[in-house]
Amino acid sequence: MKRLYLPLILFLFLVLEGVALDLLPGRLLTGDLLIVPHWVLIFLVFITIFYENERTYYSFIYALVFGLLIDVVYTGILGVYMFSYAFAIYIVHLLNKLVHANIHVSILLGVVAVVLSDISINVIYLVAGVNDMIWQDYFMTRLLPTLISNLVFLVILYPLFVKRLTTWGQEQLSGNNTL
Amino acid sequence: MSFLRRRKLFIFLIGFIVLVALIGYSLRDRTNLTIAEQFIHDTVGFAQKIVHTPVNFITEIFTNIDDLRDTYTENQVLKEKLAEYKGLIYEVQGLKEENEELREIADLKESDLLRNFTPIQATVMSRSPERWIEQVTINKGNDDGVAENMAVITPDGMIGKVLTTSPSTAKVQLLSGFDQFNRISASVSREDGSEIVGMIEEYDQDSGSLLFRIIEESEKDLEEGELVFSSGLGGVFPSGLPIGEVKEVVPDQYGLTRTALVEPAADMYDINQVIVVDRAMKNESDTEVSEEEAE
Repeated sequence: MKRLYLPLILFLFLVLEGVALDLLPGRLLTGDLLIVPHWVLIFLVFITIFYENERTYYSFIYALVFGLLIDVVYTGILGVYMFSYAFAIYIVHLLNKLVHANIHVSILLGVVAVVLSDISINVIYLVAGVNDMIWQDYFMTRLLPTLISNLVFLVILYPLFVKRLTTWGQEQLSGNNTL
Repeated sequence: MSFLRRRKLFIFLIGFIVLVALIGYSLRDRTNLTIAEQFIHDTVGFAQKIVHTPVNFITEIFTNIDDLRDTYTENQVLKEKLAEYKGLIYEVQGLKEENEELREIADLKESDLLRNFTPIQATVMSRSPERWIEQVTINKGNDDGVAENMAVITPDGMIGKVLTTSPSTAKVQLLSGFDQFNRISASVSREDGSEIVGMIEEYDQDSGSLLFRIIEESEKDLEEGELVFSSGLGGVFPSGLPIGEVKEVVPDQYGLTRTALVEPAADMYDINQVIVVDRAMKNESDTEVSEEEAE
């Protein structure tokens, strides 16, 4: 049963992303700022930092699967989120070997993941012709607000999940679960 | 080690090729979703239905508090309008009867009118978190009679069209995401019978308005504040759906035609209940297709 927790939580965040914009006040939406929730990615960063050991790649596989789900459900252009999330999580996985797990590192790696994936998404959409935003505008109106709002989400999520993820990770390491 | 590094590069390149192939596949002009996609849409749609109710409840409390503040002034305005409408009702009734009589004389059926449509009520369940993709999901699909390219409206006006459907959910492309591949045949009707016909070509992000290209060069100028309706001549949407209000008229880049900037009548961000419009008069090509299928 425990092996289902992570996919279920990720699926819940995937569903919640769809109503996330309803929760924000309307003034933010009609304005120039583009805030994109990357909640699935934030939780994947937590999994990478606290759940995994050095030899496992669960978060990478989850990034592929749930990135593809986001593509299918919300954008209709397959592969964009899948590639970007997987790429960002892979880099986070590499960086995670160099540092200790705590709140500062989580914020730092969260910044890395959100910036990398969002820029990657932007580049792909730019090439595919979905958007035609100038880079300067992109940094000010999309990347910065997106980054800040997702970091707020990360800080809220941190006390809720860190201990649980660590215990689940240790149980998994001790060989009780073969997920 | 060098083998390992080469293998990583290899995987990265394969991933990149898969990405390009997937994007190429999905950007093609697809009319139908694959069964896997439909299944995912419906599964996630089911979960969204569960999540949507409490979230909607919370957001509604806040909007209700906001609404309470304006209630008094709003009430005053509404009372005035109600008095106006009473007069209108009698007029409309007379016109309806007259219309019916005339139609009987001309031997026309209900479905011959461009204006007629069957409404399908639906609720918006989620909105795409990717802000460059202006799509929402509604809780009605194939099984409820929703099909591709149907117009979607709110009481204020048109908000978009159905992009794809699966058995119990459907994706709606909002007007603010319309590009040059989604045109609407539209018109401005005047009291003296002189219509201005044109096309809604695309949504302009910078000015936040729809571009309405006027086809025929008329002597009379379009004025600010005039209402733009769908004309039904495009063969997809019924006529008479309100689209927006003219904000500004500008000459196009060659100075030959004029383009009106049209502000959408409906709010694209605060959508909850929508109506999917099933046009009563079917396109000729559509009926041909269905006849072929029947054979």
